[in-house]
Amino acid sequence: MSDDGGLWLLMMGPAGATGLYWFLYRYYRNTDKSHAFEHETAVEAKPVTGSDQKVNEVKGTQKTRIPGDNVGEYRKRVQRIQGDSS
Amino acid sequence: MSNANIPPPPRVPPPVPAYTGPGSPQDVPPPPGSFPIDPATLPRPIRDEVLAPDPVAIDTSAAELKDGLNRCPKCGATDIRHKPGSDLLICLYCRNEWHGVRVEEEFGFGTGIDQLKGRVIASGARDIAADAANLMSFKCTGCGAEVTVNTQSAMTARCHWCRHVFGVNEQVANGAVPDAVLPFHIKKDDAVARIRQFVDKRRMFALKAFKEEFTPENVIGVYLPYMIIDGNVSADVAGQGEIETRRYTQGSGDKQKTYYDADVYQLERHVDFTVDDLTLESSTDRGNLDTRANTNNIINTILPFDTKNAVKWNASYLAGFTSEKRDRDVEHLQTRLEDQLLSIARAQVQASVGQYNRGVRWEQERLSVHGTRWVSMYLPVWLYSYHQPGSKGGLLHYIAVNGRTGETMGSVPVQQWKLIMAALTVGTILEGIALVILGSSS
Repeated sequence: MSDDGGLWLLMMGPAGATGLYWFLYRYYRNTDKSHAFEHETAVEAKPVTGSDQKVNEVKGTQKTRIPGDNVGEYRKRVQRIQGDSS
Repeated sequence: MSNANIPPPPRVPPPVPAYTGPGSPQDVPPPPGSFPIDPATLPRPIRDEVLAPDPVAIDTSAAELKDGLNRCPKCGATDIRHKPGSDLLICLYCRNEWHGVRVEEEFGFGTGIDQLKGRVIASGARDIAADAANLMSFKCTGCGAEVTVNTQSAMTARCHWCRHVFGVNEQVANGAVPDAVLPFHIKKDDAVARIRQFVDKRRMFALKAFKEEFTPENVIGVYLPYMIIDGNVSADVAGQGEIETRRYTQGSGDKQKTYYDADVYQLERHVDFTVDDLTLESSTDRGNLDTRANTNNIINTILPFDTKNAVKWNASYLAGFTSEKRDRDVEHLQTRLEDQLLSIARAQVQASVGQYNRGVRWEQERLSVHGTRWVSMYLPVWLYSYHQPGSKGGLLHYIAVNGRTGETMGSVPVQQWKLIMAALTVGTILEGIALVILGSSS
């Protein structure tokens, strides 16, 4: 067995203990829950418009995702450009 | 002049303040009611315009109930109650039943959202006057006695002398009377059963004292204050996305590594949308969802309510229940509303970037709020609470049942040593298995 594989196996104990603790803690305390207003509110949207322009190429990266991927993190705010608000 | 030929510096727009965590303002609005210049220094025509009262767009006040007496339309008695499990009011004297008027139709709250311009505020959602008192007193029209109602926690009272029942129906400036109320549908027995079921699934690692003192019959029906908001909005987001073009491996055995090639795209998306009945807590305490300090996120989780069925305000619906008073104005909630609208916009555009299989990094976002409509409402919640002693005053755990849909959520305090022991035991077993595998393979 390789050193890497051995290390991974040895990590099983601490990782399992931590994982179980957090799973149970959240199951009891539900600290991660809140109202999913993004999906539970009645929203009527017109078709999404926009543009896609190729600007660059990445070669030979080992990362499986784009750095800073936040497509599913709706609630993490990014730089706000001021619009009109009433 | 020596510096006459120096060009003026380019006008750079001020930087947008950085976002610093959930709930924090991206753009702090001026305090409600504040004005950058002293109106007294302005010319008279402008001063008159500035100081003129704001228009009330939708008047939901009930003139027929202003004396506090809600009379049965059939016999005139004042002993009116909400009939449990329905939206009906019932006269306890002659058993006459009648239905409250749905505000959705009465005031047209469900229509014309895409035509909304500016900010429309229903009369029950107006700003709270700083000097408004919580205690309200009525002169009983039956016997002339003074009856006091503390609007902080109740909206009805009975005259001690002649047994007339009073309700706070006049839209006073202390924020206690909303535009509408959504009556309880889930009965107490049902709520107790749901709470018991919820806790029964979380007993093993629950705090011993919590289990010993668990009496779901102590659940309390509370009307909590919310703002229900319709919005007509546009949003833009910009960022970069990547599409994988090639995947290959180099090296062999343990040194084998996977590499990716990808095309990078600059993306822009625009979406126009309307939201119908977005619900925000209009109480400072309930709106604080910091899970380290409280468990208000539990009450937040049981949203949404079927707010379309809300009826015009009538204090008789609250007889037998407690209530919490609204203490936040429209201006206070604007930042949180914009935050939620941006989140909705980001969720809306997600489907349009599905082809970017290496993900998208949104870098900028813009929100244009064309129009909003604000209605204040009391929504029904069954609340069971347990106070866990500890440092800094301990923690108040809630188990909440949505008084309309029955959705149940709760926070059950844990017995830490038990939880840690269980985690360590499982970790030790896993480690043992790992050691056996390692031992047998070497």
